[in-house]
Amino acid sequence: MGSNSLTLAPAPRSAAAEEVRAEVREFLAAELAAGSFSTHVDTWLSGVDPAFSRKLGERGWLGMTWPKQYGGHERTAMERYAVTEELLAAGAPVAAHWIADRQSGPNLLRYGTEAQRQEILPRIAAGECYFVIGMSEPDSGSDLASIRTRATRNGNGDWVVNGAKVWTSNAHTSHYAITLVRTAPADPANRHAGLSQLLVDLSLPGITVNPIRILDGGHHFNEVVFDDAIIPGDMLLGEEGAGWHQVTAELAFERSGPERFLSTYPLIAEFARRAAEAQDPAQLATLGRLSARLLALRQLSLRIAGALDRGELPDIPAALVKDVGTTFEADVIDEVRRVVDVPASLDSPDPLGRALAEAQLHAPGYTLRGGTNEILRGIVARGLGLR
Amino acid sequence: MTSSDVDLVVETVRDILTKYEPFVLTAERPWDAGLWSALAEAGLTGVGLPEEAGGSGGELADAVAVVGTLAAGAAAVPVAEQLLVAAPAVLAAGLDLPAPEEPLSISVDGAVTAEPRDDGDGPGSWTLTGTATDVAWAGVAQHLAVLATSPVGPVLALVDVTGRETTHAANLAGEPRGSFVLQGVTAAGALLTDAQAGQLRARYALARAVQLSAALQQVLAWTVQYAGERQQFGRPLGRFQAIQMELAEMAGEVTAVAALVDAAVQAVERGESQVLAAAAAKVRAGAAVEVVARLAHQVHGAIGFTQEHRLHHLTRRCWSWRDEAGTETAWARVLGAGLLVDGPDALWPALTRVL
Repeated sequence: MGSNSLTLAPAPRSAAAEEVRAEVREFLAAELAAGSFSTHVDTWLSGVDPAFSRKLGERGWLGMTWPKQYGGHERTAMERYAVTEELLAAGAPVAAHWIADRQSGPNLLRYGTEAQRQEILPRIAAGECYFVIGMSEPDSGSDLASIRTRATRNGNGDWVVNGAKVWTSNAHTSHYAITLVRTAPADPANRHAGLSQLLVDLSLPGITVNPIRILDGGHHFNEVVFDDAIIPGDMLLGEEGAGWHQVTAELAFERSGPERFLSTYPLIAEFARRAAEAQDPAQLATLGRLSARLLALRQLSLRIAGALDRGELPDIPAALVKDVGTTFEADVIDEVRRVVDVPASLDSPDPLGRALAEAQLHAPGYTLRGGTNEILRGIVARGLGLR
Repeated sequence: MTSSDVDLVVETVRDILTKYEPFVLTAERPWDAGLWSALAEAGLTGVGLPEEAGGSGGELADAVAVVGTLAAGAAAVPVAEQLLVAAPAVLAAGLDLPAPEEPLSISVDGAVTAEPRDDGDGPGSWTLTGTATDVAWAGVAQHLAVLATSPVGPVLALVDVTGRETTHAANLAGEPRGSFVLQGVTAAGALLTDAQAGQLRARYALARAVQLSAALQQVLAWTVQYAGERQQFGRPLGRFQAIQMELAEMAGEVTAVAALVDAAVQAVERGESQVLAAAAAKVRAGAAVEVVARLAHQVHGAIGFTQEHRLHHLTRRCWSWRDEAGTETAWARVLGAGLLVDGPDALWPALTRVL
C-alpha cells in the first residue's frame, strides 16, 4: 500500500534509555531546585547557556552516540532520544550546543577528515564548541539549491568565500558554521551539482555576524556575511560537489527529533496546573486531546531513533514527523486558548499568560525552520509515490 | 508468534474477502452472514482464543490482524467485538465461552443491574434487569456479554440473546446498534473489580481504535490510488501540488494513528495497564477521522459522495466508530484526569509511563 515508505518498524524497548532518563530527571530536578535555570518555551532556540551545556557534557549527555575515540559515549539513539526529550520537557537551556550535538557532529563523523574529527568532536561532546547551520540565504529559503554564496580556490589552495547566510541561529555565540556554498557555476540542467560544504570558523576575518531580531525581540537569528573571507583549503567537509547529498543526510537528523513536537511542551505543563486546580471537564478533555497527539508523536519519533540505531537514514518518515509535530506545537496554543480565560502577555503576572505569550511569539517559526511544512509535505507526497 | 504468522493470517482473511464485497447495510440485511460462515469455517472467528476453550489458538497480534484486515475491507461481521473484547472478557471472568461460530457481542454502558441468585465467590448465577443500549450487532449476535452493576460490584454476565427482541437502531454505516430490554433474565456471571471493569471498557475502545487505524490506512490507500488514476486538466490529480498537500496531511494523520495504536496493542500484549494507552489511541484515532475522511471525500469529488463508490463503506464506519465505545471527548477526559493523578508537576513522568 502507498504509505509503506512512510512507516517504520516499532521502536524496541530500551532499558538503558529508561535508566539514563531517570538520571537526567534527577539532574534536572536538582538544577531547577538550585535555580540554575528557569523553564521556558522553545529553549532549543532561545536558551543559550554555555555553563549548562558544559554540565551536560560532563555527564556524558552530549555526543552520546559517537565513538569514544572522538569524545563520544557509544550509546544508542534510543538513549540519546530519552536525554533530549527530558531536557526539552523541562524547558532547559539547551540552545548553545543543540545544533552541534544534533547534526553538525554526526555530519563531521560521516564526512569530516580525521584531523577535523579529532579537533572538534571532543569539544562538542564536552559542551564547549557550538555550531550553526549555514544553509539559507536572503534569496534562498525553501529553494536551497538556488544559493549564491560562492567559494573559489585561490593560489594557496584556500577558499575565498563571498555571500551571506541567514537565520543562522545563535551565530553570535557559536564557533563554527557548516556552510553550504557554490564551488562550481550553477548548472540549470543539474541544480544540485556544484555545491559543497565548508567547515567555517566564525572568528575568521572577513566574516561579519549581524543580529536579526525575532518577534519577541529576542536575538537568536543572525545574518552571517562573507566578504572575501579566506577559509583554509583543508576545511572542505566531505567531497567537493557533493554538498547537496551531504545536506540531505544532515536533514534526516535535523528533522526527526523530539524538538519537533516538544517546543511548546512547557505551555502544556503550565496549562496542566490550571486544569488540575480547576478540575474543569473541558480543560481535562483538552489536556487529554493534546496528550494523545503528543503520545502518537513520541511513538513516531522513537521509531526514527530505532531506525537510526539500525543504520538507516529515514529522511521521508522524518519529514512526516516534523510536519505533524510542528503543526501540533502551534496547535497547542490554540487549543489551550479555547478553554482558559487568560490573556497572553510576556509581562503577565500569571505564568500561563507568559507561557502563552512566549509560545505565540515563537509560533511562526515552528512550521518554517528546518524546512517548511509545504516542503515537508512535498517529500511525504514523494513517499506516497505521487511525484 | 512471528510476523510471518500474522502475514499468513492477513493473507487468509484477504483471500476470503475477495469473495465478499461490502454492501449497503439495511434493516433487512444488517450483516454479511455468508462472510461470517466462511470466516468461522476457516477458524478465524476463534483466533487469539485458546484451543482448550474452543478457540483456534494464536496470539493477540493475530486477532488484531484479523480485526484490522476485516475493518479495512468494511466487513459487516462482529469480529472486533468477539475477538478483542467479549471473548477475552468472558474467559478472564471464568465463564464458559460460547462456540466461536456463534456471534458474541458486548455491552458496557447500559443501565443493567444484576442481583445475585446464589452467594458463591466465583462465577455464579445472576438475575439481570434493565436495558442494554447501543449493543453492537444486536439482532445478529447470539450471545451478549453484559457489564452490569450489582450491590457488590461490577458483574460480567453472559446472556443468550438468540431470537430475543431488539429495537432497531443503526450507526452511520448501518451497522446494527440496537437495545435489549432485560427483565429478570437469568444469566451466568462473575464479579469483577472496578479496575477490571475499567480495563474492559478500555479494551472496547482499543478495539475500535484498531478498526479505525486499519480503515484510515485503507482510505488513504484508496485516495492515493484515485489521485493517480483520475485525470483532470490533462494530468492525474496527484500531480497537482494542492492535492499532494492534502494527501500528505492525510498520511501524517494515518501514520501517527498507526504508531500509537500499534504501541497500545503491544502494551496490552506485555500485560501492562491499558486504560490510558487505550484512551490515547481512541482519542488520536478519532481526531484523525476528521482530517482523513474530510480530505478523502474532497479528493474523490462527487463520486465519493455516492453509494455507487466504495469510499462511503469506510468513511461512514469511521464517523461512527470514533463515537462508539466512548467518544473522543469522554476518553480525552479520562486521559487528562488520569495523567494528573500524581499532580500536575508529574505530568511528564505520567506521559512517558503511558507508552
